Amino acid sequence: MSNVVPRRVRAVLAGISWPVYVLLYTPLALVAFYSFAPEPNGVGHSLHAYNVLFHDGDVFVALQRSLILALGSATVSTMLGTLLGYGLCRFRNANARGFLANIPSLVIYTPIIMPSLVFGISELIFFNFVHRTTGLLGAGLDTMVIAHITFQVPYVALTVFARLAGLDPNLFEASNDLYADGVKSFFYLIVPVVQPAIIGGFMLGITLSIDDFTISFFTAGPGSVTLPIYIYSAIARKGISPEINALGTLMIGTIILFAVVHFLITKGREGADEYSA
Amino acid sequence: MRTQVQNEARRQGLRLWITSGPGLFWIVLFLLIPSAVLLGIGFFSADDYGSPILPVTLQPFQQVAGYSLLGWDDGNIIIFLRSLAQAGIATAVTALLSYPLVFFIMTRPAALRPLLLLFIVLPSWTNQVVRTYAWLELLGPNAPVSWLAHALHIVPPDLGIAPGTFAVTTGLAYNYLPYMMVPLYASAEKLDWTLVEAGRDLYASGLRLFWHTVFPQTLPGLLSGVIFVAIPAFGDYVVPQLLGGDRALMIGSLIANQFTETPDWPYGAALTIIMLVFTGAGLVAFRVLTRKLGGAGEATI
Repeated sequence: MSNVVPRRVRAVLAGISWPVYVLLYTPLALVAFYSFAPEPNGVGHSLHAYNVLFHDGDVFVALQRSLILALGSATVSTMLGTLLGYGLCRFRNANARGFLANIPSLVIYTPIIMPSLVFGISELIFFNFVHRTTGLLGAGLDTMVIAHITFQVPYVALTVFARLAGLDPNLFEASNDLYADGVKSFFYLIVPVVQPAIIGGFMLGITLSIDDFTISFFTAGPGSVTLPIYIYSAIARKGISPEINALGTLMIGTIILFAVVHFLITKGREGADEYSA
Repeated sequence: MRTQVQNEARRQGLRLWITSGPGLFWIVLFLLIPSAVLLGIGFFSADDYGSPILPVTLQPFQQVAGYSLLGWDDGNIIIFLRSLAQAGIATAVTALLSYPLVFFIMTRPAALRPLLLLFIVLPSWTNQVVRTYAWLELLGPNAPVSWLAHALHIVPPDLGIAPGTFAVTTGLAYNYLPYMMVPLYASAEKLDWTLVEAGRDLYASGLRLFWHTVFPQTLPGLLSGVIFVAIPAFGDYVVPQLLGGDRALMIGSLIANQFTETPDWPYGAALTIIMLVFTGAGLVAFRVLTRKLGGAGEATI
């Protein structure tokens, strides 16, 4: 199919693309390069910044919070999102028309479409109001987890929905014929069959949680600084330091490591639907 | 018979509520209601601390238009236009880079393609703050690229390319490139190459061949990409905040300031409403366009 593209055009494509690849990783490589800054008053390269970083208790607490936030929110959103995708695929009246029938779609697409700044500020005001009137939900890790669940649920639901929609409807008929009730058929048929999508949704949730800054920033309280917020406020306070670069390097390195491992495990499966930006 | 059908329908409805209810309820409670409250605040007056109080008024919108106690000021309009321009340029840059990248990947051996695509998407899996401040290292005052800019007298000495308008455009394009790549790649994968061959047999070549055979087929992917890039880029907060400085203030930072540094919630809410109106108008326009052009039939809920 692609041999239609003449050699000359291929050369041009390669000539544009390789520099873009280099450009994509240059800033990340610079972060790593500057993280090996010499000790104060020293020359050359050193691991000084890493040494300082590993003796900084705040960083470890922030890391712990980031992990709790990512894993906690992804777990809940996977449960809610799987049920949501399953319900919409199986039990929605396909013939229903009109505004009412479209409400679930509208609700699901809102968190995806809404700019994260508006998302974050809405939550800020809402939690602020709830806290003032009831004393519950003071800004902190709880409110961050709630907000992260909210933006992950639609992505999990869409992943599960896409998988179910691609299944043979006869599977459900067969399970009904074998007298499995709703709950049984959910756990013995749906969950095993949709398992790749559920795991994919969970991973996607973690990725979204790790990537997010804006929503976290507006829902965080003074005692719930996560890694991205730690880095952001450090830069705002005193600019970029070698320690921040060391932390950034470790975060980038971890992601690249996970991505390579993930790629090696799932090698062979091809297509754009594998990746979500 | 009839009651049995009705019963079945009712049971089906109940199952729908049991499974989908919790997730939908969660989003309604923690996003739809809060955002409705935020939009509502735009019609209140502000007290001395910037909190909303009665009476209901349209004064926040006058503030958005640039009217204040000191008279009219074009600051807000400039910020709006700047945000639109930044989002538009960033979208155009990602589209112009994505086409060669997508077809570069497509013309590689099948085994290499997933890896090449992975390396495009990979930076977007790191945190947005990290991948944005990384550009400060490349474009900041003490970086080699800025020395070059000093030598060419593009940038005054002692200043970097970042913070500045160009740095913001770069940061936005960098952040959102995968959002353009992935839908475009998906539609390019479905490309019917026989049409391209037919075009070549009719002696079309080069750009004409691309324009008449490839471009129409990838248009649905391009339009999805435009939406995925332009909307978040328009309201982005991190990039202008880290790479922009005061000279490149965008609507996102302006809104955020009304809730953090100098609180004026009604004014901030009114700005948000205007921003969402722009976003919504863009979204509707592109949906109509996609439909007219016979858009992609993806699996949608």
